[in-house]
Amino acid sequence: MADPMKIRASVMGDKVVVKVLMAHEMETGQRKDSAGKTVPAWFIQNVIATHNGKTVLSAQWGPAVSKNPFLEFRFSGGKAGEKVVVTWTDNKGDKRSDEATIS
Amino acid sequence: MFRFINLILLSVLVSAVNAQAQGKYPGIGRAATPAEIKAWDIDVRPDFTGLPPGSGSVAKGQLVWEAKCASCHGTFGESNEVFTPIVGGTTADDIKAGRVKALQEPMARTTFMKVSSISTLWDYVNRAMPWNAPKSLSTDEVYASLAYMLNLANIVPADFVLSEKTMGDVQARLPNRNGKVKYEGLWNIRGKGDVQNVACMRDCKIEIGLASVLPDFAQGTHGNLAEQQRHIGPARGIDTGKRVQVPANSATVSLTKSGGEAMLNLARDGNCTACHQIDKRLLGPSFQEIAAKYKADNGAESRLSEKVKTGGSGVWGAIPMPPSALRDEDIRALVRWILSGAPER
Repeated sequence: MADPMKIRASVMGDKVVVKVLMAHEMETGQRKDSAGKTVPAWFIQNVIATHNGKTVLSAQWGPAVSKNPFLEFRFSGGKAGEKVVVTWTDNKGDKRSDEATIS
Repeated sequence: MFRFINLILLSVLVSAVNAQAQGKYPGIGRAATPAEIKAWDIDVRPDFTGLPPGSGSVAKGQLVWEAKCASCHGTFGESNEVFTPIVGGTTADDIKAGRVKALQEPMARTTFMKVSSISTLWDYVNRAMPWNAPKSLSTDEVYASLAYMLNLANIVPADFVLSEKTMGDVQARLPNRNGKVKYEGLWNIRGKGDVQNVACMRDCKIEIGLASVLPDFAQGTHGNLAEQQRHIGPARGIDTGKRVQVPANSATVSLTKSGGEAMLNLARDGNCTACHQIDKRLLGPSFQEIAAKYKADNGAESRLSEKVKTGGSGVWGAIPMPPSALRDEDIRALVRWILSGAPER
């Protein structure tokens, strides 16, 4: 199981601003280690954010995204006290889901 | 830095010696009041001397952080845009060992990778943050923002409350707490030095580098620089008197000696050997390399003579060859000798 994500969600005007910091190696598959062997690709492929069971963000990522990616997005219709759930799946099938309360 | 105790002593004494001091230096300054000293003396030491009582939770720290810190440091202390990141690069193993492993690799360094005493962070935030309004945070806000940072770095749990009592617990979990070394040679005059370099005494590697070149028009404009140096330390001035002091009989000297030795002396006189060797490449190509390259080239002698006279670059690399101060016939003889492979006789 990967390290937990850090998620902050807060109401700004009529929108909810969500900031996510994910802990992931994000190996491109292009890098070689000190022995000259290729480091196998290992990166987040899908990111889904839901609010009250409804998907508010769905993204497909590739190896170009940095290590420990930072993601910020806004959606409307959220209220303080409700929950936002962010889930990622990587190319090894590993999954991580974390939630945060909108403040 | 003054010791606090000295300051107290000073402030007590100050009133006693005030009249005397003013008598000694009339009209210059006045003694600092205890309140002024208190406002000035805000430093916090690694043993937590000077740490004011107070407390702040991670949750409160998040509010302070979002309001005053996140615009530069990022919501998670991860921002690398204005300053280097505060959080990142440390692992649970580092917290156990007290030494950050990633520091041994060539990678960007974050605050929590480097800092070895938590008091330093407290002191720095307290005196210098926020950037645009230093010293505007209350004591509790400093504790809270620091608690939030520590939580981001996975050093303390989310329900942690940082106070003057729990600072010691945090210090014991700081990832790089054992990362500081005290080289004895830096503070103990009798201690062993922190460098082990030994001066080379024999068979030393000689490295010659052409750092700069005095242009032709500047030769001799300030007299012979070599004669204007103090005779201690490395010689710095080049012999700029050479151009006007070329011995009239240098060619005849060459002729009487004849052969490779005379030519090598000539090359030495013309400062050629600073960059060229007979068989080894230094800054410029070796004489033998030159001979090999132009072996089948009939016009090489006159072209190279011209090149030695006027200087050049680009054939063997980017490092330029400065114009030679040697006489034309000497240059020609030298080039002929080089093109014949720089024989010893």
